[in-house]
Amino acid sequence: MFEPRKLHPISAVINFVKTLKDAALPLVIVFVLNGNMFRGDIEWIPLLIWIAVLLLVLSSGIIRWLRFTYRMEEGELRIEYGLIFRKKRYIPIDRIQSLDFSEGIFHRPLNLVKVSVETAGSTGSQSAEAELTAIKREEASELESLIFQEKNQRQTDIEPEDESVDLKKGGREKVYGMNMREIILMALTSGGAGVVISGVGVFFSQIMDVLPLGTIYDEILDWIQIGALIVAFTVLVVLLIAYGISIFLSILRYANFSVFLEADDLIITRGWLEKKQMTIPLNRIQGLRIEENLIRQPLGYATVTLISAGGSIQKDTDHQLRLLPMIRKKEIEKVLQPILSDYHIVRSFNKPPGRSKYRYMIRHSWFAFLAAIPISIFFFPYGLLSILGGILFAGLGWIAYHDAGWRIKDNQLTLRTRNIIKQTYVMKKHRIQAASVAQTLFQRNADLGSVRVTLKSGVGGSVAHCYYLEKVDTDQVLSWYKPPKQIESR
Amino acid sequence: MEREPAQRISQKALTLWRIYGAIQVGIVILLSIGLFVAVLLWDWPWWTLLIALGVLFIELIVSVWLIPSLRWKRWRYEVSEHDIDLQHGIIIVTRTLVPMVRVQHVDTEQGPLLRKFHLSTISISTAATVHKIPALDEQEAERLRQSISSLARVAEDDV
Repeated sequence: MFEPRKLHPISAVINFVKTLKDAALPLVIVFVLNGNMFRGDIEWIPLLIWIAVLLLVLSSGIIRWLRFTYRMEEGELRIEYGLIFRKKRYIPIDRIQSLDFSEGIFHRPLNLVKVSVETAGSTGSQSAEAELTAIKREEASELESLIFQEKNQRQTDIEPEDESVDLKKGGREKVYGMNMREIILMALTSGGAGVVISGVGVFFSQIMDVLPLGTIYDEILDWIQIGALIVAFTVLVVLLIAYGISIFLSILRYANFSVFLEADDLIITRGWLEKKQMTIPLNRIQGLRIEENLIRQPLGYATVTLISAGGSIQKDTDHQLRLLPMIRKKEIEKVLQPILSDYHIVRSFNKPPGRSKYRYMIRHSWFAFLAAIPISIFFFPYGLLSILGGILFAGLGWIAYHDAGWRIKDNQLTLRTRNIIKQTYVMKKHRIQAASVAQTLFQRNADLGSVRVTLKSGVGGSVAHCYYLEKVDTDQVLSWYKPPKQIESR
Repeated sequence: MEREPAQRISQKALTLWRIYGAIQVGIVILLSIGLFVAVLLWDWPWWTLLIALGVLFIELIVSVWLIPSLRWKRWRYEVSEHDIDLQHGIIIVTRTLVPMVRVQHVDTEQGPLLRKFHLSTISISTAATVHKIPALDEQEAERLRQSISSLARVAEDDV
């Protein structure tokens, strides 16, 4: 693969469509503002301009495709491109973190893939370091194996005794897959569900008001209530439609979700219309986050997300790094075992002491109670209902207290907190960037403290905390984290 | 973890923070003068001036006297071969531990006021966080920066 190669011609079309998509809105506006343009002589001009623009975009797509070449040379991936300014980008193989494949609707029928090259340097918001818009699948896998070989060779140059890499290199082992039932269940119980359920609640409360009492109230009140009913009904329908769309989209997005283990990389593939494949080197994994939302928790399901130090992998964090988007809590350990054998799922936690309980409740509800005061005053009789909101938040605080906990096991720290979603962070000591213990003056008197631990995640950090623990416990976490004084090194 | 970190930041920081506080008070004074003019010109109620005076008084006590001294008293740091230990905060006291292995780079910076007092702020960056020690003695900051960066270089990294 040392001679320069071109992308598949279809990439010209993809470039064209992409540019067109970005420019679609202004074009539509021009079109609409011009009204009917097929009358007279002068009115043809905007249409001609329109056509000229289209041609320009199309030809620029083609030229861009003509100019784009890539090749492997001297341990570098060399890409040259550019319409007016010729650009050359050489990426040393060592620096390549992963190759991500994805397939759009244009790619599928022709058996092509889009390849994104990720390096550690690709800074967060930016897209991948290099992108091959469309190449043949065989070429892509050839590229992948070439890069892999090259990397391996370098590694064995440094540490020649490491034979195990070659042994493992062989196959791709499937470690986890999601079936359709689970995907649908996941889509149903996503965050949107809560909104819809409350919408349905509002709707039925309105029906209750109108139906039995409608004849008793005088006519005007009746009309108001029917108006409210119509509004509630419209809202309900809109919510249901939005919910339906979101279910449909997440089914499309997560169809065929599977996780593979290949040598030292984790490979996640998913998607129906657009197939995505992403590679996460195991040694970039910084920690795990297990999330349970209010709907899934009672059903015994959880989401496992990877915290990875990768570069631009993070740009769509929510969807991309879900290792196990929805799984029975009991099964997490079993699935994780072959992938991340040194991570342990902890069941018993050390809890914050009883005197933290009301602190949690105040922490979650003070704002709601404060807001309830003006609301109660201004909308006097009904405004008092807002106090219920405060009580609700206090209840949430109580649950949060109940769920909080920490556990140290060997060199692993597990912190569990809840805001609305219950989050459990599983962290290794050598991955934690910094740890701190904070104590307010009130906590100082009560001998309580909060722990805060930062992991690297993408370009930034990911923070895990646990509030209002015994001061002794927080100190224990810090002294566990404190690097040992190596006396023998002196 | 009972023992607090040993080092304290420069005594001159106290004066510096007092100056910052005084600048804040200066702004409040300017606003009060504006208010006074408004009261004279457009018959604004007199009690607004009383409030302004009250604010001024509290500001004077809190941001010139109380906060700088509390803040200074609380700020402690300790850099050992293996870690950096920081403690700061007035109402929320935070104790932070950064292992030397995690340190990516160290910067010192100096604004015009800091330069006048021969002070420097040192900021220690890990891959995910930045930790600052404000107002160290110039030479001390320089020494610390060098020692941290050489220690960090020695410590083996596995991120």
